[in-house]
Formats: sequence, structure tokens, C-alpha cells
Amino acid sequence: MQLKLTLTLIIFSLVLIFFISLLLNKGRIPVKYALIWYLSILVILILSFFPGVFAFFAKLFGFQLVSNMVIMLLIGILFILVIVLNIMVAGQKKKTTLLIQEISILEYERRNDK
Amino acid sequence: MKSKKILIIIPAYNEEDNILNTYNGIIEFNKKNKTNYDAIVINDCSTDNTKKILEDNNIPHIDLIHNLGIGGAVQTGYKYAYKHDYDIAIQYDGDGQHDVLYVEKLIKPILDGKADMTIGSRFIDKDLDGFKSSAARRIGIKTISAFIKFASGKKIYDTTSGFRAANKNIIHDFSLSYPIEYPEPITNAEVLKKGYRVSEVPVVMKERGGGISSIRAWKNVYYMLNVCLVLISIKMRRYKKCN
Repeated sequence: MQLKLTLTLIIFSLVLIFFISLLLNKGRIPVKYALIWYLSILVILILSFFPGVFAFFAKLFGFQLVSNMVIMLLIGILFILVIVLNIMVAGQKKKTTLLIQEISILEYERRNDK
Repeated sequence: MKSKKILIIIPAYNEEDNILNTYNGIIEFNKKNKTNYDAIVINDCSTDNTKKILEDNNIPHIDLIHNLGIGGAVQTGYKYAYKHDYDIAIQYDGDGQHDVLYVEKLIKPILDGKADMTIGSRFIDKDLDGFKSSAARRIGIKTISAFIKFASGKKIYDTTSGFRAANKNIIHDFSLSYPIEYPEPITNAEVLKKGYRVSEVPVVMKERGGGISSIRAWKNVYYMLNVCLVLISIKMRRYKKCN
């Protein structure tokens, strides 16, 4: 049981690493964000090589199954990433609003000067 | 005394039925009363004939190159007012709800130096008739009013009124930051919390001339929840006091 989970997690991590490397190579995501993903995968990989650590923490935090804790962990990581993205989108929106307003005012002034 | 530069900001989204009357109303008022109000329409990327009407009739207007929503449109007006050194900026709906007759009353407290911002209020003078909106919305406005009191310690009756006048300091503040969503109640609370003097001036509003109010499309309960949440966070936030 434990071995199967370890194997699944390793395969899962490898697929993710492959996918992110692909995106990075094509220049679709900046290194900054690729790094966050690599680090999260690294955490999962380390833990999957030492299932004892999983079992220890699962017991400590009251999870009935080790797999439950793994899922919880992944959801936690995703949660943080989504919030970070949320903040970024809000920042982008502020910037586009500013651009739209400034360009529109400039355009009006240009029209008026003619 | 040098006469004050006054700008009327008219945000418009799909207001082909009303925009010409609204603008002409202001121009006629200027002629009759020898006032000198400038007016500028902010066309928020209307999809109807608003733009054509504005162009054909030579109405000064800023065309937003992309739709921003009411908050972004009004802020564009405040930015323009700040850039061109206006002393007072007035928010004025493009749908014919507001009456230019009240502009003078609205800006008087600011001209007299008694207020930094004024709000055209439907609820102050109970004797004035006119459009006071539906019962459900009045309850909503009362609730928001209570939350603004909670957030800023001061009472405002017509919290969602889009008929407001602002002096230079507030024009500057608004040009720097203005909420995209639910702008009126939020800015009212923020301005109060910064220590500015706000006064409400009784006005009469008309029912919309034509078209559909964007308010009707609001999902009211969701709107209320959002506004109250922002107001609670304004209560928690600290603001730099004005002098």
C-alpha cells in the first residue's frame, strides 16, 4: 500500500516536472513561477521517498489515511497558488485600467488640439 | 475673486436616448444663468449610438478605448479634472436623473469653504417630492448608511447618490485611487474617514428618462454583501488624515 502511494507520487511529480520544463523551455512561464512549482514538487518527492515522514505527520495531525494527508497537502499548495494568482490579476487589472484611462484622455486632448 | 473652474463629469454607457438632452440642459442653463460650467462626457465604450450622437453634436467627450464600468469611467473624469486644474468636479448621471438646477446648491458649501465634498441627497428634505427609488432599495440604502456610520463614525443618508461635487483635494485623491466596484458608498466612507468635511444637500431626482439603469441589473443581495464587507474593511484600515 505504502509503496504504491510512493510510486504514484513519484510518477505524478515526474509528469509535472516534464510539463513545467516544457513550458519553461518554450518561454510560456517566467522562471520565477516555474521555481515555485519545482519547489512544491520537490517537497512532494522528498516526502514520497520517506513514507515514514508521511505516516508520522499523518498521525500527528489526525489524518486517518496517509493518502488523505497527501491530498490535503496538494490542496493547500494549490490554494496558496490561486491566491497569489488572484493578487496578480488584481494588480494587472489596476494597470490596464490606468492605461485605458490615460490613453483615452491623451486621445481626447490630441483630438482637441487639432 | 478669480472665478472657479467647474467641471461636470457625465459618465455614459449606452445612453443614446438621454445624453443629448442631458448635455443641452447644462448648456442652456449656462446661457440663462451666465454660469460657466464645463461639461465632459466619458463614453464608456457604449455599444449603441452614443458615440455618434456625441460626435455629431460636438459634445466634448472622452472615448474610453475599452469598457471600464462606472467607477473607471468616473475616475477618468476626475483624472481629467485634476490634470486641467479644475477647482470643483461634479459627478452627474448621463441618464437624465439629475437636474442641473441643483448644481448651484450642490457646489455652494464648497465655494463657501464649508465642505470638501457634497452629496446630492434625496432623503434629507422630506418635503421635497420626486423620485426616491423603490422601498426595497431604500432599505438597502439605510443598511449601507448604518455601515458607513460604523466605518467612519458619521452619518450619510443618500449613500448611493451619484450626484456629488468635490473640491481640489478630493479630486486629487479620487484621481489617484477610486474603487472600480460600488464606488459611491465606498468613497463616501473613505472620504469621511480621512477627515474631510462632507455635507448632504437636498435635491430632487427624476426617474430615468429612458434606457435601462445599470442598477436594475445589479444582483441586489450580492451587492449589499459586497458593500458591507468593504465598509467593514474600511473600518479596520487606517487612513492618512487630511489636514
